[in-house]
Amino acid sequence: MDHYLIIARSVTYAQRMQRTLARAGVRCQIFRAPRDLTELGCAYAVRVAVSDLTDALTALHRESLDPVQIFLYQRGLYREVGR
Amino acid sequence: MIYLDSAATTFQKPPAVETAMVNALRTMSSPGRGGYPAAMAAADAAFDCRSELAELYSLKNPEQVVFTLNATHALNIAIKTLVPPGGRVVISGYEHNAVTRPLAALEADVMIAEAPLFHPEAVSESFSKLVDSGVDAVICSHVSNVFGFIQPVEAVAALCRTRGVPLIVDDSQAAGVLPLDMAALGAAFAAMPGHKGLYGPQGTGVLLCGEGVKPYTLLEGGTGSLSIQQEMPEFLPDRLEAGTHNMPGIAGLLAGVRYVRQRGLEAICRRERQLAYMAAEELRGLPGVTVYARPGLHAQLGVLSFTAEDWEAEAMGQALAERGIAVRAGLHCAPLAHRSAGTLGSGTVRLSFSDFNTPEEVSRLVSAMGEILA
Repeated sequence: MDHYLIIARSVTYAQRMQRTLARAGVRCQIFRAPRDLTELGCAYAVRVAVSDLTDALTALHRESLDPVQIFLYQRGLYREVGR
Repeated sequence: MIYLDSAATTFQKPPAVETAMVNALRTMSSPGRGGYPAAMAAADAAFDCRSELAELYSLKNPEQVVFTLNATHALNIAIKTLVPPGGRVVISGYEHNAVTRPLAALEADVMIAEAPLFHPEAVSESFSKLVDSGVDAVICSHVSNVFGFIQPVEAVAALCRTRGVPLIVDDSQAAGVLPLDMAALGAAFAAMPGHKGLYGPQGTGVLLCGEGVKPYTLLEGGTGSLSIQQEMPEFLPDRLEAGTHNMPGIAGLLAGVRYVRQRGLEAICRRERQLAYMAAEELRGLPGVTVYARPGLHAQLGVLSFTAEDWEAEAMGQALAERGIAVRAGLHCAPLAHRSAGTLGSGTVRLSFSDFNTPEEVSRLVSAMGEILA
């Protein structure tokens, strides 16, 4: 299913993102980021539905929680759509 | 056993601490090392513990809470971040070896803000005379581990802010008993054990990091983040948490912190001070006993030192141990505090209370002392 992956710098940062999104009413899950998506090795990612990305980024921006990278998963492939 | 050595470590813990530790052993692996349920359960416990501590200490975000082995480990990071070899430091006269030994290793130029026991205003005045903009750091314990003396960290922090000098607070004896507002203090660091007033298990400690400080890495290694990069991450808590976490310890600490927050600092503080007050009043009535406390236990927490005429402190500690009472005698790893109080030659016998002690235990201590001195 199509979704966005918001890459976080660490598990703690991903957890802060997750709590922030939960407070904003955005459903999300934490995953280990796929290795080929991360330039500097191990990282975590927060997965959100395509329809929730704008709300998610607004909520994260409000808390100064900056994603490392953002990927769109579509037709079985990840494509970077933002940093 | 009547346990009166909580300034070393609290022995009686809330039952939830043991439960949480056993649960951690059964259900948690390593946080930040996987996305499977056991790794995420560990990550959740660690995050919840950071979040509880961040709220308790008024920190903006949980990443500013770093897990350490103990307060000494935390203090070493703080000191080695701020004090270069041969640097200038002002410390209070009541610091522990956890502060003075790292400074000695750095061959720091240490100035001591001398002040008599239980006179917080004198502590402030003394710091004020010594702190200038050329000082690398000020270090002040919130409460003396030997005498329970509550030092004026708020006033010292205000002075540091005015003069642009970073402050390290050693909160070892105050954690879980007295509030500390990191945001208001503007301190660079506060260090504390998890296993004393926060009721976590031994092997847990916490370093609270102020904003805008890039801490010195005492350890380097795996963090589960930025694995290709060979320098430690610049962001917290990863920068200071190389290697596998003590998850049973952190889960136990989380349960301990929740106990403290539910019970309330004020209630815990009141209980410990009442017990110390009762002990001070009753011990004063015994022949040859000198109790280190001002009337009304002014500026003092639930830690009480005493000496007994013709009794060496360690011998008194042993005599009490033989009667089932656990106390700490000697210099308490704080020769500077003893020098400041004038007890370096003799040492003292120290009683230190927790939320789990009772007035009956104080009465039994006083009876035992009466027997020993008879």
